[in-house]
Amino acid sequence: MFQEFIALAVIVFFLLRLGWQFYKDQIPKSQFIFWLSFWGVAGLLLIYIRQIDQLAARLGFSSSGIQLLLYVAVAVIFYVIFRLRLKLAQMEKDITELTRLAAISERDKNKS
Amino acid sequence: MKVISVIPSWNCSATLAEVVKEVKDKVDSIVLVDDGSTDQTREIAKLLTVDYLRHPINRGQGAALKTGTIYALSQDADVIVHFDADGQFRAEDIPALVNPIIKGEAEIVFGSRFLDDTTKMPAFKKKVIMPLAHFINRVFFNIKMSDPQSGFRAFSRRAAKQLDWQQDRMAHCSEILVAAHASKLPIVEVPITVLYPDFGQKLGGGFKILYDMFIAKLNS
Repeated sequence: MFQEFIALAVIVFFLLRLGWQFYKDQIPKSQFIFWLSFWGVAGLLLIYIRQIDQLAARLGFSSSGIQLLLYVAVAVIFYVIFRLRLKLAQMEKDITELTRLAAISERDKNKS
Repeated sequence: MKVISVIPSWNCSATLAEVVKEVKDKVDSIVLVDDGSTDQTREIAKLLTVDYLRHPINRGQGAALKTGTIYALSQDADVIVHFDADGQFRAEDIPALVNPIIKGEAEIVFGSRFLDDTTKMPAFKKKVIMPLAHFINRVFFNIKMSDPQSGFRAFSRRAAKQLDWQQDRMAHCSEILVAAHASKLPIVEVPITVLYPDFGQKLGGGFKILYDMFIAKLNS
């Protein structure tokens, strides 16, 4: 119970900080919505931790709901890394395109 | 017909002048793409009769070939030949690649190391890497070419405009093969000889190619 209270306090702290950053125009709306959803879902999961415990048991996990959350978190992290890799590939492509334009325009400039 | 050779070069200053000297007799002009070299490539290029383009940063052989091909098309090339700056290819094989296009027998010509036995390839490459690449090409892309990784190739103007490869690094070779077959343009393979002063691309490089193609597929 005490651990849950601490975790909720941390989430509330981050939510307040997020609200402050948005109010001060330090982050764009899209990021605000993403992190608001993230911390909101984390808070909800904590509030319903007993039900998640029961779900974990029903799904055949031998340990508590917290561990089920950890499994989900790892899966989410893998997904985020995968998305980042795709984004990096797109950035690489854009850099190549810029490099190509620079090379050709430099050549045309030297020729004329 | 105007034949232009595109030669990408990344830190190949040791072989560059000799390669250009040999190639220039076989084509009408040369587009040399310096892919962000940090050696003497720029200084050497100034002494050569070539169209010199420089990538400010290294982007890979596939990217350099595409830059050179786009530029060659802008210079009214009718036939474009991809050649390497490291001295592995022989300039005397260029006419064999260009002739089928000039005669109208093909739009795309790939040089093949497996149509005769003049190429002395390292044994591991010949017995393990190449059969694996053959298998992947056949199973995943339905490509039955004798050489699964040919970098010595020629395109007609039409083919060069149509083939749009996206791979910047070594996977461009496979991507061009796949795109060439998808284009339904007539393709011919001709025998070439490739010299191996070192091992060249290793098995790890092959897996990197597969990974790059997988990521590109997901990104498309």
